[in-house]
Amino acid sequence: MTAISLRSALKGLPETAQEPIVDLHFSNQLLEALGFQPEEIHPQYATGDRMVVDKAARKTIGSDIFLHTKSNPYLLVELKGRDINLSEGSAQYQKTVDQLKGYLLDSKCKSAQWGIITNSCHIQLFRKHGKVIYPATKCLSLNLDNIDEIIADIRKKIEAPTKALTVAIYNNKGGVGKTTTTVNLAAILTFLGKKVLAIDFDPNQQDLTSSLGIPLNQGDVSEALDERGDLLKALHSYSFPLKKLNSELRFDVIPADQKLADVDDSELRHRFTRSRLYKRLETARQKYDYILIDAPPNWRLISQMAVYAADVVLIPTKHNSLFSLENAATVMKKFIPEVQSKKANGSPIPLPIFFNGERITEPQLDVARKEIDNILKTAKKEGFTLWPYFYPKSKNAQKNPHIHQVPSYANIASAAFSRVPAVYRDRSAHEYYKDLAKEYFLP
Amino acid sequence: MSNFNDIGNLMYLYLDEIDPCEGTDAPAFLIKATAHLLNQKGGQNSVPIIVKEVGEDKYELIGNSFIYAVAEEAGLERVWCIVTDGKDDTVEVTQVLAGEKLPKINLSKASRDEIAAALEYLIEQPNSILKTVKLAIATNRIDEAPRQYWKTFEPITNLKCGITKGKKLDALKQVFYLTPQPMPDTITDANILKTMSTTDLKAMAKKRGITGISKMTKDALIEALSR
Repeated sequence: MTAISLRSALKGLPETAQEPIVDLHFSNQLLEALGFQPEEIHPQYATGDRMVVDKAARKTIGSDIFLHTKSNPYLLVELKGRDINLSEGSAQYQKTVDQLKGYLLDSKCKSAQWGIITNSCHIQLFRKHGKVIYPATKCLSLNLDNIDEIIADIRKKIEAPTKALTVAIYNNKGGVGKTTTTVNLAAILTFLGKKVLAIDFDPNQQDLTSSLGIPLNQGDVSEALDERGDLLKALHSYSFPLKKLNSELRFDVIPADQKLADVDDSELRHRFTRSRLYKRLETARQKYDYILIDAPPNWRLISQMAVYAADVVLIPTKHNSLFSLENAATVMKKFIPEVQSKKANGSPIPLPIFFNGERITEPQLDVARKEIDNILKTAKKEGFTLWPYFYPKSKNAQKNPHIHQVPSYANIASAAFSRVPAVYRDRSAHEYYKDLAKEYFLP
Repeated sequence: MSNFNDIGNLMYLYLDEIDPCEGTDAPAFLIKATAHLLNQKGGQNSVPIIVKEVGEDKYELIGNSFIYAVAEEAGLERVWCIVTDGKDDTVEVTQVLAGEKLPKINLSKASRDEIAAALEYLIEQPNSILKTVKLAIATNRIDEAPRQYWKTFEPITNLKCGITKGKKLDALKQVFYLTPQPMPDTITDANILKTMSTTDLKAMAKKRGITGISKMTKDALIEALSR
């Protein structure tokens, strides 16, 4: 019955309804249709010390009623009036999304996993996983015919959240440290208590597999992708003993598949579609906290499958390689939007770039920043706003050219020979990757 | 407060009625050149000086001392001023807003991002004493330490993040302050215990009635206390 009342609520809204009207005549019906009772909804919820979000909601747990305890919100809703244009790409849309992100990351919302922006004409659902916020639906246009279906779909998503965040580590320039990043990120997230799956999806180089000293797959991955099998049978587990504590650190790896090496791209296209890896990871997404996919350089089918499978794309770059920076911009301007348009849920989105590599001196950093400024200028002319992905700490009136750095040095590179991730062998490497994990992923 | 005061007003005050207090340490060139420019362009300070009223036609400068120095150098008789209530809080905010004083953050409660930003600021100052400190490492170690209990900054020197006692530690005091929580009597988290000094651990063990303390090593103390 609730669905009908949401439809009639939408029907009854004046075309020029401003925020108070949308709030009064639409928002409660919306939350009810999403499965929340009146006592599970708190209006004007203080997300921290300063900010207030329009609605927050959480199901009652035992005797813990959200309206009374105001603790651990699960879903935040930022409402707008119909006079605010929320179609994707508009300035007001971007502002509203930024506003929602601010709420979701605020101090009292650590437990919040979902955020919605809506003005009753458009609606979009966002997922928060750790520190990462990414779209869970596209920005959808609501009308009387589709509203029931859209809201039912959103309800299904928020009632059964995916456990894992899937990250593709990708740059179509080679040699920027994709494999090093994947291995060490997997290892440090494991150290920090997360359940991690690392996928070596570069069948030609097989670097991740060999750097951990584990055997290659002989057809299991290709079979699972080909037939309706499950990828998890291609699993190999990597463990690092902690002798002092008499325990071990363990994460799972899907080693590269020898059978996919040197297969022509056109042959692969006959056998697989772009979405194949994404589909075969369905059980894995409920089993792990993080799925990290090491993708090959270039933009052939294998890379496309990796990026398609991801919620977010982590793009390592090198400060002294102009190509790696330009290619990062290409990934953001061209490749990711291409995948987004084919995928139903608005993902993947890029994470801010970081510098991987040798220590950077001040003059070198200046050169890199100049290059980035040029790249951003060109992108702007083409209609792309890329600065948040290069200078994530900048704001409108605040130019902050900070770019995260993970210095690499002999110890990290030589770790591959010992078949052990550098973060388990070297204290500095351990700290740098922990810093990366906390900066990008962990709350 | 009655309406019979000038708080919040923009006023054109006589320079000799304002006590500059400490003055500015800005380079003489900047003051002279700016004074010259100001004289050429009409002698009106479009950015006001911030003052508080201390008596009948008597004021004290609390912010924008550079502009006062420029006005003095330019030989201006009167300057545009904003009169504030002069409370301690106002004085502090004014000096921070005017860029004359560094804002401090509470290290007892600060988030990881806040700590990283403050450390980055210190490290990137020209000729910073902290320039050899690795930002990632220092941020991790300080963030993970039981800083909510710290009464002084001293424990930072034990974190092995390149910040040693003396000038380096003092540099941190420019941007951090502490509001410590009382140390609970029963900490059993080995990770927190590890960061405490042996003396503190012994005091805690004594309170808990553990025997044989004097012969115990730090590791043994941690083990006994974490049980």
